[in-house]
Amino acid sequence: MRFLVDPGAAPRARPAVRAWLLFAALALAAFAVQRALQGGLTPGGVEAFYLGPDGTEPVAAVALWEELHVGAFVWGFALFMLGALAAAAPAPAGRGLFRAAVAAAAADLAAPFAVVGAGGAGALRVATTALAFALVAALLVAVARATVPRGAPARD
Amino acid sequence: MTEGPLVRYRAPALAFAGSLVLLAATAAVLFVAKLGGTPARLAARYRGAEEAFRAPATLDGLLEVAIPHLLAIPLVLFAASHVVGWARGVGRWTYHALVAVSFGAALAGVASGFAIRFVAAELAWVKLVAFAALELALLAWAALLARVFLRRSP
Repeated sequence: MRFLVDPGAAPRARPAVRAWLLFAALALAAFAVQRALQGGLTPGGVEAFYLGPDGTEPVAAVALWEELHVGAFVWGFALFMLGALAAAAPAPAGRGLFRAAVAAAAADLAAPFAVVGAGGAGALRVATTALAFALVAALLVAVARATVPRGAPARD
Repeated sequence: MTEGPLVRYRAPALAFAGSLVLLAATAAVLFVAKLGGTPARLAARYRGAEEAFRAPATLDGLLEVAIPHLLAIPLVLFAASHVVGWARGVGRWTYHALVAVSFGAALAGVASGFAIRFVAAELAWVKLVAFAALELALLAWAALLARVFLRRSP
């Protein structure tokens, strides 16, 4: 993990960084598809998922905490990696984008509690989903452009 | 003016510290909600309880929980200790002790679930102590990250 904290190691780490970014992009895409399949792209779908088809069978509180626990690991670790790679890049990039992505991911993690607490507000979760995925995707692209310059040969 | 190396990593390090606190908090809620939070309830959760019509935990069920945790917890601890070590956020002895406690508690926490189920109910105390130690370790790493990266850069 030296390339995470040592900008000097970045050129040598380029193949590993490139591969990791590819996997991160795939994971983000898979996560987005899963969210869509769970109805996460429409307010009605979100409310049906968290409150039941007729709005009277909300998911158990423990399920919400489990989702938050897993999400804290997934978003937290992915954003830490992207942020560290952005900072270690030859031309540090995406600082404002990183902060915005962290804020959006935090809002996305909290949104299910708001949906269940309010007994609705599915649109909030749709908005946080769109914002979080768009900003993390944009950060990923910014990191890729900053750490893997087109045509730059890898140094030893 | 060029900025110090710590300032460069401030935002990702602090975000990571925040995620450690969130992980510790949600783990505490889930520990109480799903496992009961006391040695007696832990033992009943793993070994079953006739009066509550609760079946003992199966090996398959234990592995389903253990496998992701065996991957995720060391990864998180490795990243946190790696960054704190790089930033020299704490003395060598303290650093080594914290690494040992963190990984030791993580291992004991995962292993003790199997031990409670297949060895002895009294080992629920080990699970409880290991969980508390890991929680404190996660908070300690988060606090060290915050202290190191919020410190004014030289």
